[in-house]
Amino acid sequence: MSAGISHLDLLEAESIHIFREAAAQFRKPVLLYSIGKDSTVLLHLARKAFWPTKLPFPVLHIDTKWKFRDMIAFRDKTARDFDLDLIVHTNYNGIEKGINPIDYAPSVYTDVMKTTALKAALDEGQYDAAFGGARRDEEASRAKERVFSFRAEGHRWDPRRQRPEMWRLLNGRLGHGETVRVFPLSNWTERDIWRYILREKLDVVPLYLAAERPTIERGGQLLVLDDDRMPLKDGETPVMRSVRFRTLGCWPLTAAVESTATDLETVVAETLGATTSERQGRLIDHDQEGAMEKKKQEGYF
Amino acid sequence: MTALSAIDGTNEDKAAADDVTAVLGQDLNGMLRILTCGSVDDGKSTLIGRLLWDATDLYDDQRATIERSGRTAGGTDNPDFSLLVDGLVAEREQGITIDIAWRYVDTKTRRFVIIDSPGHEQYTRNMASGASHADLAIMLIDARHGVKTQTRRHAAILDMIGVKRVILAVNKMDLVDWSEDLFRAIETDFKALCKNFGFWEALAIPASAAGGDNVARRSENMPWYTGPVLLEHLEELPSRGTAPTGPFRMPVQTVLRDGRDFRGLAGTVSNGTIRVGETVVDPISRKSARVQRIATMDGDLESAHQGHAVAIQLDTDIDVARGSVLAHNDTLPTVTRTLKAKIVWLSDVAFDPRGSYLLRSATDLVPISMLEITALLDLDSLDQKPANVCGVNDIALCSIALGRPTALDTFSGAQETGSFMLVDAITGASIAAGVVSEASNQATDQAGDVFLLTRAMLDRGLCADLVTSGGSEAEFSRRANEVALILRAAGIKVEVESPPDYQI
Repeated sequence: MSAGISHLDLLEAESIHIFREAAAQFRKPVLLYSIGKDSTVLLHLARKAFWPTKLPFPVLHIDTKWKFRDMIAFRDKTARDFDLDLIVHTNYNGIEKGINPIDYAPSVYTDVMKTTALKAALDEGQYDAAFGGARRDEEASRAKERVFSFRAEGHRWDPRRQRPEMWRLLNGRLGHGETVRVFPLSNWTERDIWRYILREKLDVVPLYLAAERPTIERGGQLLVLDDDRMPLKDGETPVMRSVRFRTLGCWPLTAAVESTATDLETVVAETLGATTSERQGRLIDHDQEGAMEKKKQEGYF
Repeated sequence: MTALSAIDGTNEDKAAADDVTAVLGQDLNGMLRILTCGSVDDGKSTLIGRLLWDATDLYDDQRATIERSGRTAGGTDNPDFSLLVDGLVAEREQGITIDIAWRYVDTKTRRFVIIDSPGHEQYTRNMASGASHADLAIMLIDARHGVKTQTRRHAAILDMIGVKRVILAVNKMDLVDWSEDLFRAIETDFKALCKNFGFWEALAIPASAAGGDNVARRSENMPWYTGPVLLEHLEELPSRGTAPTGPFRMPVQTVLRDGRDFRGLAGTVSNGTIRVGETVVDPISRKSARVQRIATMDGDLESAHQGHAVAIQLDTDIDVARGSVLAHNDTLPTVTRTLKAKIVWLSDVAFDPRGSYLLRSATDLVPISMLEITALLDLDSLDQKPANVCGVNDIALCSIALGRPTALDTFSGAQETGSFMLVDAITGASIAAGVVSEASNQATDQAGDVFLLTRAMLDRGLCADLVTSGGSEAEFSRRANEVALILRAAGIKVEVESPPDYQI
C-alpha cells in the first residue's frame, strides 16, 4: 500500500471511510444484502471497516422465496462464516395473496415482494440508515446520486432534499422523519467490482459460473428451472445446457446465458470483453435491469 | 486465481487469465479526479467527448452510434464527439439542487473520474461542490475570446476550494489559424492571473477539441508547441493519494473494541504519515501515547499515509473519542473556539443571524454560538466588500464562535482538517461549505451575556443516567450540544463547559 497506490486501494479506503462515518453518525444502521456480486463486495468492505470487531449492524435480506436455492445456501454460509447478524424478511402477506413471479407482471410482483417488503422491514427495525450497493456508473439516473441519500417520511426520494457533499465531509444529521440510504460503492464501476472480487479472492454464488443446468427457452430467453413450481407450456421440455448468470434475482425472472466459463477469470473476460455484438446482447439485460432499478427507486433505493 | 477457479491450469485458463488482464488492466496507475469548467460554447462537451473517443474504453457500438448520427463537430469532418457527453447530461436533469454528474473512464493506465457541473446558472455553488472532489481542473476557453472574467471567477473558486493544479485548455485554435502569438498572449494573461492564487501548477495547452489537436495526440498544426499534450499530462501527473502532505492528522471516526484487548482508533489519515512507535497526541486533552499497532484486516502496517483507512492501537488508553484529531506533538492542530473562515453559501435559504447552526468538521459536530458575516468576496475584482448578509452562491468572509472548543487547522495548512460544512440544526441540511483562514488558540473573550451550560447542571438532571451508569462522554456531549442548540434557538448565547481534564 506504499508507493504506486492502485485505484482499487483508493476506492477501498473511501468505502471504509463511508462505512465508519455512517456507523458513527446514525443511531441504527442496517446493511441491505442481496447475495449478488455487489453485495459481496459491500459486505467485504464493511468487514474491513470494523475489523477486528463484529459488524456493528445487522444484515438484511429481503427474501421473496423465489431466489435460487444456491443463493440462499450461499447467504446462510456467508452469515455463518462471518458471524453476521442476519435478518431475513419476507412479505408473507403477499405470499398469502398468491403474488408470484409466474402469474403476475414483474412490476406488480417486484413492488409487493421487494419494495413493499423492504419498506416494511426498515420500518419494523426502525433503522435510520440502510447501506446499499448502488453505484453511480450503473445508469444515467444514478450519476448524480449522493453518498448519503436522504429519504423523507415514507422512504420518498426528493431531489430538493439532497444535500451537497463536499470534500470527504459527510453530514448525516437527520431532519424530522428523515432516513438515509448510504452508498459506499458510489464511485466504483462494474469493472472495479470484478477486479476487486478477483484481487481479494472473494467467493461468489456458483450461479455466476457455467454449469450444466436444466433450462427451457421461453420468449427468446433461457430460464433455469430451480424447482417444480413453474408449469411448463406445451412443447417446452427441459434441456440440460451449460449456462451461467450475469445478474441474480428471482429465478423465473432471471435469464441465463449459454457459456462454458467455469472459472471467474473467464467469466469476467466474457462479461467485460465486449465485442460489439456481445455487448449489445448485454444491453438488453441492462435495460431490464434498469426497469428493475426504477422499481427500486420507488422506495427500494 | 480464485477459489472458484479450481480447474487445472490448461491453456484455455491461461488464455482466460491473459484476457482478463487485457480487459480489466491489472493495476491502473492510480486515479485522477478532474473537474471541467467552462461553458458549452467553449467546446467543453466536445473536449471531454474527444478525450473519451481517443483514449478510453468506449465500446464499439457507442462509437458506431456517434458515427451513425451524421452530425459533425463544428467546421470539421469529424464526428460530433459532444454527443458522448451531452446525451448523458440531458438524461440526468433531475432537479437536484446542486448537480454534479460523475463519469468514470479508464485509459490503459489510469482511472479518470470526470466531474461535470452542468448548467450556467448558479455555477458558484455547483463549481465549488464539484471542485472539492477534484485533484485537477481543466478550464476551457475559446481561443478567439481569450482569458475572460469567467476564467478569473473559476480560478478564484478553485483556489478557495483547494484545487492545486489547473490546466487552461485554449480551444478552437483552428479558428485562429493556429496562431502562436495569440496563444502566447493568452498564456501570459493566464499566468499573470494565476499569480493571485496558490496553485502548484498552471499549464496552458493550445488545442482543437474537434480535430483532436493536442488532446490525445500531438498536433501537426502547431509544431511550435512543445509542451505536454493533454492526455499525456493527465496520465503523468501524480495520482490522487500520492500528493506531498504536511503534518500528520487522523480525525478519529470511531473506536473499535473487540471485547478483549483490542481498542483501535479508527479513521482515515487525512494528512501526512504515521509510523508504529511514534507518539501521537489528542490535541484537546493534550494526552499522548505511543502507536503500538496500525491495524487493517489485511495485516498490520508499519506506517500509514494520507488516504489510508486504518485502526490505530495505542500503548496506553488515553480515552480518545470520535471528533478528536490525532497529531504529532510538535505539529498540533489548533484547539479553538473562535475562527475566521471563507464560506460559500449553498442553500437557497439565506443566512439568518438568529438561525441555529452547527459546524461539521472532519469528524466533529459542534454547536455554533455566533456566526457573523463580515464581507462578501467580489469574484470579478477579487475585492472584499463589507457585508453582514449572505445568500445562495455568495462567497463570504465570516467569524465563527463555537459552543465548545474543537481541533482545527487552517485550510492552507491541512485541507481536510481545515474545512467544514455549516449545518442547519433544525433541518440537518448542509447550507454552506467553509475553509478556515484563521484559528486562534485563545479562549474567546465573549462579552457578557453568555450562558454557560455547566457539567454540574447537566449531571444533576439530563445526564444523571450517564453519571450513574458510567455512560460515555460522547453521549454527554451530544446531549449538551442539543441543549445548547435549543437555547440558541431561543435567542440565548450559550457555551458548553469543557470536560474537566481539558486545558488550552
